[in-house]
Amino acid sequence: MSRFFAASDSSSEESSDEEQLYSEEESEEESDEQSEEESDEDDSSSDDEAGGANKFLKDVSDSEESDDEDRVKSVKSAKDKRFDELDGTIKQMENALKINDWQVVNSEYNKLNRLIPALIKQNDGKVPKAYIKAVADLETVMLETVEKQKVSPKKMNAVNTRGLNAVRQSIRKNNKDYAKDIDAYRANEDDFMKEKEPEEIKKTAKKPKKTFDLIDEAAPEGGDDGFVTVGAGGRAVQYTPEGILKTLRSIVDQRGRKNTDRMENIRTLEKLLEVAIVDYQRIRVLLTLISTRFDLTSGTGNQMTQEQWKLAERDLGSLLQILENNRNIVVIENAEEWEDDDKLPTITEGETFRIPGSIASFVERLDDELTRSLQHIDPHTAEYVERLTDETALYTTLVRVLVYAESLKKNPQLELSQDVLNRIVMRRLEHVYFKPSQVVSILEKNGWTALPTSLDSQITPRNISNDTTSLVKTLCTYLFQHSEGILRARAMLCEIYFLALHDQYYRARDMMLMSHLQETISNFDVSTQILFNRALVQVGLCAFRAGLVYEAQTSLQEICGSNRQKELLAQGLQMQRYSQITPEQERLERQRQLPFHMHINLELLECVYLTCSMLLEIPLLAQVGSSPDIRKRVISKTYRRLLEYHERQIFTGPPENTRDHVMQASKALSAGEWKKAADFINSIKIWDLMTNSAQIKDMLSSQIQEEGLRTYLFTYAPFYDTLAIKTLADMFELPERKISAIVSKMISHEELAAALDQVNSAIIFRKGVELSRLQSLALSLSDKATGLIEANEKTLEQRTQGTANAFERQGGRGGRGGGGRGRGGGPGRGGRGGRNQQFTGGALGRAIQA
Amino acid sequence: METIKSAVSAAADTVKDTVKKAVTTTSPEETGNVADQYNLLPKLMPNLDRHLLYPLLNFQADEDAEQPVEQTKVLLQLLQPTHMVDFVGDLYKRIHGLDDVPEEYKQRREEVLKKRDQLEEATRKISDLLDDENVVNNLRSDKVQNLQYLKENHGVTPEMVDQLYEFGQFQYSCGIYPHAAELLYRFRVLSTDNDKVSEATWGKLACEILSVNWEACIEEINKIKENIDTRLFNNPLAQLQHRTWLIHWALFPLFNHDAARDTLTDMFFSLPYINTIQTACPWILRYLAAAVITGRNRASAGRNTNQYQRQIKDLVRIVRQEGYEYNDPVTDFIKALYIDFDFEEAQKKLSETEEILRNDFFLLNMADTFVDSARHLISESYCKIHQRIDINDLSKRLGLSQDEGEKWIVNLIRDTRVDAKIDYQAGTVVMNHPPQSVWQQVIERTKGGFFRTQVLSAAVAK
Repeated sequence: MSRFFAASDSSSEESSDEEQLYSEEESEEESDEQSEEESDEDDSSSDDEAGGANKFLKDVSDSEESDDEDRVKSVKSAKDKRFDELDGTIKQMENALKINDWQVVNSEYNKLNRLIPALIKQNDGKVPKAYIKAVADLETVMLETVEKQKVSPKKMNAVNTRGLNAVRQSIRKNNKDYAKDIDAYRANEDDFMKEKEPEEIKKTAKKPKKTFDLIDEAAPEGGDDGFVTVGAGGRAVQYTPEGILKTLRSIVDQRGRKNTDRMENIRTLEKLLEVAIVDYQRIRVLLTLISTRFDLTSGTGNQMTQEQWKLAERDLGSLLQILENNRNIVVIENAEEWEDDDKLPTITEGETFRIPGSIASFVERLDDELTRSLQHIDPHTAEYVERLTDETALYTTLVRVLVYAESLKKNPQLELSQDVLNRIVMRRLEHVYFKPSQVVSILEKNGWTALPTSLDSQITPRNISNDTTSLVKTLCTYLFQHSEGILRARAMLCEIYFLALHDQYYRARDMMLMSHLQETISNFDVSTQILFNRALVQVGLCAFRAGLVYEAQTSLQEICGSNRQKELLAQGLQMQRYSQITPEQERLERQRQLPFHMHINLELLECVYLTCSMLLEIPLLAQVGSSPDIRKRVISKTYRRLLEYHERQIFTGPPENTRDHVMQASKALSAGEWKKAADFINSIKIWDLMTNSAQIKDMLSSQIQEEGLRTYLFTYAPFYDTLAIKTLADMFELPERKISAIVSKMISHEELAAALDQVNSAIIFRKGVELSRLQSLALSLSDKATGLIEANEKTLEQRTQGTANAFERQGGRGGRGGGGRGRGGGPGRGGRGGRNQQFTGGALGRAIQA
Repeated sequence: METIKSAVSAAADTVKDTVKKAVTTTSPEETGNVADQYNLLPKLMPNLDRHLLYPLLNFQADEDAEQPVEQTKVLLQLLQPTHMVDFVGDLYKRIHGLDDVPEEYKQRREEVLKKRDQLEEATRKISDLLDDENVVNNLRSDKVQNLQYLKENHGVTPEMVDQLYEFGQFQYSCGIYPHAAELLYRFRVLSTDNDKVSEATWGKLACEILSVNWEACIEEINKIKENIDTRLFNNPLAQLQHRTWLIHWALFPLFNHDAARDTLTDMFFSLPYINTIQTACPWILRYLAAAVITGRNRASAGRNTNQYQRQIKDLVRIVRQEGYEYNDPVTDFIKALYIDFDFEEAQKKLSETEEILRNDFFLLNMADTFVDSARHLISESYCKIHQRIDINDLSKRLGLSQDEGEKWIVNLIRDTRVDAKIDYQAGTVVMNHPPQSVWQQVIERTKGGFFRTQVLSAAVAK
């Protein structure tokens, strides 16, 4: 299914299957409708050129007939269908006659005869006129043809002749039965046809009435009741329920069938709603109305129109209003259906009456539809912004639904499943977590002011709505406590994202590590994996803002280093060479896309990633550069590749895009020109997108200063004997204390073979540290030998998992223990208990490889 | 031992606020006072028992010549729920300037005495039995069997055993710790109720701490440690909570009983405990750092310099990781010295550290050792990086006079066998850092290879 995450889990597969099924149904329906429409068109166009021998049109019909059909079309009974079929067959036959294709004529004629007995029965024993006309004409034409056949030298082909003969034989036998009618027809064609015309008209007049009587029936009753019910509810109930509940039933029964006109149903339902007087009826009507609105656009390809969406949202609002005012009726999923259409259930005060339905699903569906339509609108247009304003309304509804669900939950008799609440809370969280807190508080404020003041939520009381942090925390904590599995993981990721967005790096990181999600994320569905990626990236950006370059780089590595950011973050399809995606996969991927307002700026992301990589890689390159035998450690392959590409260029112009800026800065930095590098980096425009860009630029400058110093020392150490700290301080514009601290650190970590002279405040470089070829080879050989032993041990350990303990005790520990200990000394590793190495998660790595 | 446990939290709730108030009221003006700024008492409080808190609070009071009323009030509040009626009444008397103890306390005293007699009566039989050599000799390691034996031969019921527990608790509450310890020990020998046994263990630990019986203390700590690992293994939260308590309680023996320091430090460094420190109580890092750094003297005297190096390394790693969550002069010192290599900062922090140590209940005794060891660490690291050092400057850095400094350096050279010479005329020390030669490195790296391969082949052959 997805070429995206190899570990496709069952749930998403299921859902896609479902969707497939669904869409198949859908397409069937569509094609049906289409063909119907086509035939309509055919009809009308054939009216214009009535009788014209148009080979491309399948049928030619008399204008009256097609008119008739047009009018009748809206509601077709079985009888009408038969008549249609009759007409169709006749048309076919006439067409065939015109081109002298007797074989077709024969088969159509046989079909006609098969149809006729049933039609006669339905038509009160009378033979349909159209049939008489057809057979009479057919006989005439047939006789003519036979005559012609005798005269003309040109022979018909064998098949045709056989058809002609067959028709001739059967028609003679057949026409005897209808001899009288045929004679009448022959005697006076026009009269015969006219005779039936009034009949036809009568029929057509009758039929439309039938379609409208649904409404007609209801309307007068409603009108009556509107007047009657004042004060006398009991009696009024006797009239209305029959009409409304029955109509509802018929509409519900039509649901999912082909050829139902849903718009018509919606209109009917809207009328019913006006008519309904009891809350029970209103609720039932609204429930059906909302789901019918959703049915209008079911299918994966298309989205709900804004107009319908708004109506659905409004309807849901009024449904909630009714439910809030009438506490005796609840809409709940586990309720029994009320079977009796003829009378209303008696709802006694103090008892709760249940209606089957799910408000939560409605609001979820609303949410989905909004997302879907946002996916399809071009984000750079005003339309998108306009559509986005609907989110406020949606959020308000969400909160309202949540409040309602809470009130249901409070009643233990109802046994509202926790799942419903969890789902709503999750939806709400998903509308909040990616937004800056100012935006959220506006959203919250608007939401609460739109709600009646009597409503308040227990989970998130009104008064914490100002404080976004605690809002998110409350929502997440609620989910941690009450849900499990995917929802819990998602809540966790949302909170991590939110914390990271609000510059709480350590809390976000600790949550990320303690959740252990990076180990299990590959078992989750794709959208959760995307959320994980988003959270990870956001943590990385947060680390960057906090000036933690190393941490930022490691968090971003997995996503940005993969070159598939767009895909991994679901922010657009990435066209890749050599990749084979089936249209199916592409469709799924399109569905996953996040709406534009949720996107993380990819260019900024790349810029941060490259800058971090530069700050780490350039000193490393300088360190490694002088001695090629030190094992080459590569921090970022992507960066290295770009750097190589950049260096290969013969002529480099002034930097144009972010990448160029970073690359030129890298070059300057590796040459020790930190000022130039800082200028290049700071002139990148995209920093302005960050909230405190000035601060970030300062941070970057100071980082560049330090790394520049380190690079300089690595690069030029072999050429110096001594170096005054003062000189370095001047060169890098750092205080001397800072310089000596950095140098001390390098010396202490044995990165630099030197010592400080405190008296003269200078660095004295040790001589004779450069290794000869033989020496370095010996060193690397010993390294490799150690590596080999370790690999062997590891293999054996894996092989003998059960008995490995014995082996361990015997002394394998010495080596491994040392390895483990060495890890602690690595630079800048945060995280609990050395976990940080797996920070970016093996899971994702695996996913990417796949 | 519900009461002891609940006392832990109760003490936290009731006393915390008042102590905070007291702490702030004692030094309202001097906000710059480093010791008060980094006072850990409020943080330690929730994890200690009422009785264990008393010495800590009392220690604070000791500093000032006379106990201020505020302080006494805090003590009173702390001890109010205990059965140490006489003492509490005395405190009350002092606070309110009364001549005589109020009636309420006298009444309570009567009650306590009565209760004691009652409990003593109830446990007399079993206590007598356990005092009897003949009976004790007949006891085996099997608890059920013991109980059976006592029941059959001497008519001891399980209820009587439980009475022991209750009496122990009561005695503890009265402040008669050795007796309480004894009672709890006996209870533990006989009882089969696992929950109560583990609670009794906690109780006994508290008793041993308060009766300054460190050997027994270590024993109890080990028992509790085992208990946590085996009995709570499927309840991570309780594990965390219990470990946090244990870590806090273990501070008492850690700094008062030299023999136990190594084992306890090792325990703190073991993975479950270091994780607990990182997640639940990062302030313990101060004590851990102090314990590690002061361990230097013993390390250099003994053979385990390797271990010392490793501990320092671990400590540095953890201090760095937790830097965002907790810092005080002690961890700052570590950070300045080992992470930033900023010697001036380290020097500054060292003086602050000294003040902190002198105001800390646990670390008071170690202050001098700590400063001494810290100086060693500074100079070691300084010498490692520098080639030529001005003696004058170094002495200043270490907070010593010129002569002292010279002596210090001579000692240092002798102790650590650094390759260094003093140039008296110029007043400098010249260090010689020979680079590690390549062949040495190769030998170092391939050292264990043969042995490991042998082990490997032996394992394959099996």
